[in-house]
Order: sequence, then structure tokens, then C-alpha cells
Amino acid sequence: MKIEQTLKNHNITILDTNEIFKCSENDHLLVGMRSLGKKGIPSGCHGGGCGVCKVKIHSDKNNYKTLSMSRAHISKEDEDNGVFLACRVFPLGDIELNVIGKIKRKCINGSKNFVFNY
Amino acid sequence: MTVLRIGHINLRVLDMAAAVKHYCDVVGLIQTHQDESGNIYLKGWDEWDKYSVILSESDSAGMNHIAYKVESDADLDLYHKSIKEYGISVEMVPAGTLACTGRALRFNLPSGHEMYLYAEKEFVGTAVGSINPDPWPDGLIGAGAHWLDHALLMCEFDPEKQINKVTESTDFMIKVLNFYLVEKIMVGPEGAFQLATWLSCSNTPHDIAFVGGPVMGFHHAAFFLDSWEDVLKAADVMSKNKVKIDVTPQRHGVTRGYTIYFFDPSGNRNETFGGLGYLAQRDRPVTVWTEDELGASIFYHTRELVESFTTVYT
Repeated sequence: MKIEQTLKNHNITILDTNEIFKCSENDHLLVGMRSLGKKGIPSGCHGGGCGVCKVKIHSDKNNYKTLSMSRAHISKEDEDNGVFLACRVFPLGDIELNVIGKIKRKCINGSKNFVFNY
Repeated sequence: MTVLRIGHINLRVLDMAAAVKHYCDVVGLIQTHQDESGNIYLKGWDEWDKYSVILSESDSAGMNHIAYKVESDADLDLYHKSIKEYGISVEMVPAGTLACTGRALRFNLPSGHEMYLYAEKEFVGTAVGSINPDPWPDGLIGAGAHWLDHALLMCEFDPEKQINKVTESTDFMIKVLNFYLVEKIMVGPEGAFQLATWLSCSNTPHDIAFVGGPVMGFHHAAFFLDSWEDVLKAADVMSKNKVKIDVTPQRHGVTRGYTIYFFDPSGNRNETFGGLGYLAQRDRPVTVWTEDELGASIFYHTRELVESFTTVYT
């Protein structure tokens, strides 16, 4: 059986950490990042629903394609500014990005008596 | 005046075709209906009413509403009165408002989640029927889930601002809908704050659960599987279909369930809930989990809280 080798890999650079990983055109950015154990972008639902993996892409719009994602997290204006959920972005060329999404932490901020936080 | 069980859940999905493929081919539900607006209705093979899941295409993920079935139509009038007396605004909507369903009460829990109570839904029967039935039907697909088991709803929780919608919704479910508390997690100084509750209206460890978080939302809907072996096979099905698994097969400390957390293609969390845990009873002592054992309460083997459990939801 011939193994298909036509899929292209592209370099994805997380500018915040200078982490670079390769991602195939068939995979969204989080699959590319996580399948090789790389980190940097928060990883959540991988379905465009939860919003934790928000990124700002600096590369040309022709360098990626996107699938639909939740309007609760990404507005039309965000999209126009290159802000997307990483789990809905598939590379067509090299991509440089900044991480915007943060896991919401410490629901109970500053309570000294608490050991509990998120 | 009795609530029988969870009746259905209405989830918002970003891509209907992908969602139907997931709930049919991975979870193993069966499509039973589609309405004029394009909403799709599904049921598990072991369920006898027309549907337990409604999928609605939308530009955001999450839950539109959750519905519980009550024993008789007359119960609806009694609940109408008691919900109003509790101080929650409630409306009786006519038959057909919910597809294939009789008249229903619509209201919002103190946490904000929309809930319906109804007494009648079109009967279609289980896949094995009720006369001399086989234990399971041929042709099950994917995980072959039996039924929608329960849902977990995230409720706003911020003790510093004295906000605890977990406690408020729990109080309502107990006082008005006659659910009973089965397990709870207490956190804070001397365990002062109720972070999470598991409530039953039947004999399963939970028919609904509430967990505190920064904002209200939908945490997961769980589908029942018989055994640990079924859970393992379900996880295999998920990997074959490249489903995003949040937590691989493991036991919950709470409820003793055999779990997998995974996401549908729109990011709504699903669970396979295996085993019956234990026989829940109204006079069974409430199980209490303390803050120092919080990890084990949810993930019994690793004893560590997975960050996504309380931060990733729709």
C-alpha cells in the first residue's frame, strides 16, 4: 500500500513563547500542537465552542482556512482582525500567532482562607 | 406529584451534519424526528419516548433547555402553583410547543438555566420492545448508549460576592421539585460553601448536578452504558472517529460512575456514564466530599482535578 505523502506540513510559531511546531493541512492548530506534546495555546473542547484557545494570527489570510466557531467567543470584528479559536484554524502556509485565550483561573481570587482555586 | 426522570436536553450545535454524525455514529443514538425548523431529535435504543436529545443549529454552542418528565398531567398544575409560590416566574405552554409533547411548564432555575416539565411525550417503544424482549438489539452503532442519564449544569459561584447559584438551584430542586441531595462538595473555611451538588428524583445517584464556576453554562450531558467493558469500547470508538476526549476512562469518586468525558463537534461536553453506582435512596446518608479531596471526588484514580473540568464548558 502506498502511503500518501502529499499532505503539506506548515510551521506554526507561537510568538509568546517562541515555540514552533509543524501542523498538517488536515489538522487544526491544536491537533498539530498537542500530537507532538507541544504546549502554549490553551486546549479545550476542540470544537469551537468553549473559547479558551483564542489566538491572534499575524500571517496572511491566504495562509489558513477556518471552520465555524461560536459567536459567543469570536465576533465578526474579531475575525476581521485575525482573531480566531485555534481549534478551528487549519494551516495552508506558515502561521505566526499570539495567544489571547486564557483558562479562567481562580474564581475565588484573593481569599486567603482558601486553598481551593480553579 | 412526582418527577420521573430527565426527559430531554436541547443542545446548540455549530454544524448540524457533524453533530448528527457524532450523536448517531459515536454515541449511538437513533434519529427519530426532524421538525420544520430543522431541529433534529434523537433517542437511545433503550428509551421508549420519542426523543431525549434535540439538536438545534446555532452560531454558539451550549444548552437551550433541559426537560424533566413528571408522572401525570395533573402534576403540572400542582407544580405550576408551587413554582410560582417559590417566587419563580413560570408559564404553561400548550401541547406541541415541544415537539411530540403535551403541555409543559417553562421556567428558569435560580442559576438561569431554562427548564421544562412535561407529562406526556409520544411513545415509540424501545428497540427490543416490551413483549419477551431480547436484552439488546442487533445493529447498535458506536458506543450504543442506552439512554440520556443526567446533565451537569455550571452555576455562577463567587463566595466573595456572596453569589452561590449552586446552593440556590439545589434548594429549588429539593423544595419545589422534591429531588433529594445525594452527594455534595464543600469548600472554603470549615467547608462553608457548597461548590457542587448531585441530586436524584429516582434511584440513580444523580438525575441532575450543579457545579460552581465563573459564569453559568452547560457542563455535560451523560449517556448510560452498562459496564466497564462498554466504556472501554466507547473510548475505542471515540479514538477511531478522532473525537476529542477530555478525560479517558476513569472512575468518579462521586457517584462511583465509570466515565469518559469527551466533546461533540461543537465543543459541548458529553459523558458516558457506566454502571449504576449504587442504589440512591431518600434516607441514604448524604455523601460529603471535602476540599482537600476534591481531585479524588471527580477523578478517583488520578486524584487530581483536571483543569478543563471547571474551566472548559459551553
